[in-house]
Amino acid sequence: MNRYQFEDSISAYLDNDLSISDRKLFEEYMNKNIDAKNLVDDIRSTLKSTKNFSNIKASKDFMPNLFKRIQFEKNRPVKKIIEKPSKSLFGFTPLYATLMSILVISFISIGINMWPQSILMDNSASAFTGDINPPNLNIKDINIKSQPQVLVSKEAKSDSSDTTIINKKNFRLNSKVQLVKDRK
Amino acid sequence: MNQPLQNLSMRPLEMDNEFRFSDEELILRFQKGDEQSYVELVNRYRDRLINYIYRFVSDIESAEDIVQDAFLKVYTHKHYYKQIAKFSTWLYTIAGNLAKTELRKKKTRKVTNLSQIGPKDKDFELPSVEPETDKVAQNEYIEKRIQIAINKLPLHFKTVTILRDIQEFSYEEISKIVDVPLGTVKSRINRARLQLQIELKDLKIGDSI
Repeated sequence: MNRYQFEDSISAYLDNDLSISDRKLFEEYMNKNIDAKNLVDDIRSTLKSTKNFSNIKASKDFMPNLFKRIQFEKNRPVKKIIEKPSKSLFGFTPLYATLMSILVISFISIGINMWPQSILMDNSASAFTGDINPPNLNIKDINIKSQPQVLVSKEAKSDSSDTTIINKKNFRLNSKVQLVKDRK
Repeated sequence: MNQPLQNLSMRPLEMDNEFRFSDEELILRFQKGDEQSYVELVNRYRDRLINYIYRFVSDIESAEDIVQDAFLKVYTHKHYYKQIAKFSTWLYTIAGNLAKTELRKKKTRKVTNLSQIGPKDKDFELPSVEPETDKVAQNEYIEKRIQIAINKLPLHFKTVTILRDIQEFSYEEISKIVDVPLGTVKSRINRARLQLQIELKDLKIGDSI
């Protein structure tokens, strides 16, 4: 047992909380070191003194003063707050319900916007109801050149701050694309 | 049942031990409206609590005020008590928190009350340690020296020292009052005792008690 272990065990020793083997080690160390023994004796004496501390009694006015304070608390005028009866929707007040609804709608719209575009496009094909084949045209002959078409309004040509320029995306149909009506 | 407090007997109820209500029974009765039970609880804990708080603030008037605050809180918040813990644990927790608040305020205020004047502020003749010396005076001196040493301890050491060595609570009760694990309580008490001895190294208590 070293000094640190000894000091850590002092309270347990005084409270008779040490096991037999630990107690034996503790007492061996204590008997070999006079300082350690003096420390234990001093702590024991101090504890004995604290048990003999004087008992302070409450003053005669303690109970009357306590009752006065309790009476004061009982009779203290409470501020009456007149609240308009608020109708609650599923436990939410109208303001709270509005804010929560806005938050829910925001989350849903953000979620839709963040949804992968490819899934949206695949799903959107069935929504197309227009006729892609003009009556007298052979689709294989069509060769759309990939030139960006820039629509510029007349005003924009003279006004450089105009931002109504729309750039069409490049696309080209090639022979690999076969439309449904051409399959035979 | 709901008599004005002043009309109730301030004296403790004289009950035989077998008919004596426990603290938990009294607080339950008080929660149902029996104010005499409240008075009985105050009578039971008044002096003990004043002694506990006095060891924190070293001022009898402040200690009484704080104890009154604690009992007032018990009165106004009686329904906050749940039977999970002992009533004494709940009461000492309330009182301890109020004492700590007062100590924090004292640090900022730096005001000394007249009732706080201790041995440093007035002439104090050191009693002789000869066997003929009045033991009472000697014990008073020792008590004051130990109290000064306890006041120098950090707050968390001071709390457990007062609860264990002066109020004689068990380690388990102290653990619930200060809301720390049992092992921490034991460790703090041990370290507090060692630190206390460093402060009291020149004080020879010996056989003078």
